[in-house]
Amino acid sequence: MIEERRVITKTRRTRRNTKQVLYKALFVCFVCFVPSRYRDVSAQTFTQRGFVEGSVILFPQDAVNDTTRIVGDLRVRDEIFIKPAPWIQFAGGLDLRLNSHDQAERAWRVDVSDRGALRPSIAVRRLSATVTHKGITVDAGKQFIRWGKTDIVTPTDRFAPRDFMNVVDTEFLAVTGVRAAVQAGSGRDTLEVVWLPRFTPSRLPRLDQRWTAVPAGAAAIPIVDAGAVLPEGSEAGVRWSHVGNGIEFSLSYFDGFNHLPDIDAATTINAQPARPAERAIAIRRDYPAILAYGADVAVPMRWLTIKAETAYVASASAATPGSDDYLIYVVQLERQTGEWVFVAGYAGEHVTAQRAALTFAPDRGLTRSIVARASYTIDATRSVALESAARQSGGGVYAKGEYSQARGQHWRTTITGVVIAGASDDFLGQYNRNSHAAVALRYSF
Amino acid sequence: MYALLFHFFFFFFFVPFVPSWPTSVHFTLIAADSGRQIVEEAQKRTDAKSQRYEGVLQVFDGKGKIADKRWSFERLGSHGQSKVVLRFSAPAEVKGVAMLIVNHPDRASDQWMWTPAIERDRRIALQDRSTRFFGTDFSFEDLDERDVNQYDYTLAADNDIVDGTACWKIQSTPKESKSSQYTKSILWVRKDNYAFARIENFVKDQVVRRATYSDIQNIQGVWTARQLEMADLRRGSRTRLTLDKLEYNVPLKDEDFTLQAIRRQ
Repeated sequence: MIEERRVITKTRRTRRNTKQVLYKALFVCFVCFVPSRYRDVSAQTFTQRGFVEGSVILFPQDAVNDTTRIVGDLRVRDEIFIKPAPWIQFAGGLDLRLNSHDQAERAWRVDVSDRGALRPSIAVRRLSATVTHKGITVDAGKQFIRWGKTDIVTPTDRFAPRDFMNVVDTEFLAVTGVRAAVQAGSGRDTLEVVWLPRFTPSRLPRLDQRWTAVPAGAAAIPIVDAGAVLPEGSEAGVRWSHVGNGIEFSLSYFDGFNHLPDIDAATTINAQPARPAERAIAIRRDYPAILAYGADVAVPMRWLTIKAETAYVASASAATPGSDDYLIYVVQLERQTGEWVFVAGYAGEHVTAQRAALTFAPDRGLTRSIVARASYTIDATRSVALESAARQSGGGVYAKGEYSQARGQHWRTTITGVVIAGASDDFLGQYNRNSHAAVALRYSF
Repeated sequence: MYALLFHFFFFFFFVPFVPSWPTSVHFTLIAADSGRQIVEEAQKRTDAKSQRYEGVLQVFDGKGKIADKRWSFERLGSHGQSKVVLRFSAPAEVKGVAMLIVNHPDRASDQWMWTPAIERDRRIALQDRSTRFFGTDFSFEDLDERDVNQYDYTLAADNDIVDGTACWKIQSTPKESKSSQYTKSILWVRKDNYAFARIENFVKDQVVRRATYSDIQNIQGVWTARQLEMADLRRGSRTRLTLDKLEYNVPLKDEDFTLQAIRRQ
């Protein structure tokens, strides 16, 4: 992979290195010293959770750009929470990762920012302090910030980049910044203000792997990674939430960058000495500056719960002239009966200004779709779940079945089967050679 | 199990007289007023500004124990208007999962669940409440704290014996305004200390869940069952809840019973 292109002055780089060293030193102190000091003081002041998970994914078909059919992954997570006083809490967590298909870095280093193209071998998952005083809560540091109410697509969830190394099985990435929440009316009204000094992008599939769908006709043309232009500015957002008797709703505003990129694809001629000239496609990721105006609502009713969420995303056109303006909306119905949980809904999109030729946008890719999910809890240790998505155009279908069983207090086995079908020009359908089965064994501690 | 009664598993409700009275429930209706008075007295005797304990849940199926769960429980406020935060500490895979329950005297409680794995809270809707709580034999509705005013009561027997102890047997039915999975419940209240001895919950004329209270102790002046066993008679499974480190009137703050607060681990 080609190194990501960034213009950073020497001074900035030095400052960043210093920050990294400081972060690492703080984290080592946090992980090694503080827990041992507080562990025995009281269960109230120290909590820990973590797991070791090994998984194997089996793809029965080759992809155009990837013939690897078996992918193994090992993940270790440990998180600790320390509350030395009722008004303050510290949280820290590490993720350790190994992958048989080069999706994780091989070099053993602690990555605090987690903004690279590969999963870090050791990532700081979270590192934050939370201060509370009466109705005011301030979280500072690396943390998870989730907005929105719907599950199918969450258009207002702007501070939640994801790891899309596997597009249909994603996980959230933490962001670094400050979140302040002020509550009023006995907690019924909450005003959240978020400021992130540094942008965190979503992690995209590797270009030489199957979750980057390459049309069969383009298989002969090499695709090279021309890196990403990571914006240097800060991001901010405000959200007001109200919890009423029969309704809860939120209004939100976001001024920052889309964590999903516009793609700049350019044909290049790779002319090297002593080799014939070779055509290639250079892929560069640009993260557009956007403004997002959002709203979400949940109305629990006697027979079902209605959830709806919408966001109008407008490009801050002066900064990123090539980005789209669009409205995403989701209407979702939930019903829980006995041990069954049903969720079904429709996600739609209305583009008001189309400017980008190529994007990687799973949120938009899943719009104009009907999505349904059903899960059944068999007993205290076993559950099954079914999930499906079908594009309105009929261009793509995705179905997933999952069986999960716990054994004892620590072990859980999950077996998953995923079928994807459809046309190559559809967001879901393009992954039609990525149907797979997976087994994961997790030990929680 | 007084306290347990009112902040945990509470069900009940009743219509003083049901025209097609189920043949499986043979008892004599004595006096509606006295039934309500007994339950009111039971509630009064469990009155505490706040409560805290650590609960141990053991789930058994027909073949034996299949799961252990632990949680911490904190309640602030009086019956029917209290707020509860319940936080799981075991098994390891559900550590940090938390519930906020806001009880109301005149309607069903509001409940939210915080799931740390996805860093989101989710409101548990009314229709969800018959669902078993985390695979145990308690349903979400059983977590509601019910005010006596939400039910009608009838004293069904003045001297019924449960585990060798004299009890009042009281039938309760939810009022029309009350949404419940249960058609009615039968409560056994101990005469010696007004603690609940047993509760049977009915769907139509069939007993579906039976709660049995034991190890009743006087904790800070409140007679409290330290152990409750809930049997799901349709599934043939049961869940035992044991209360450890139980305290009443502990200093708790209102700001710790909000959606923002349950995000904190």
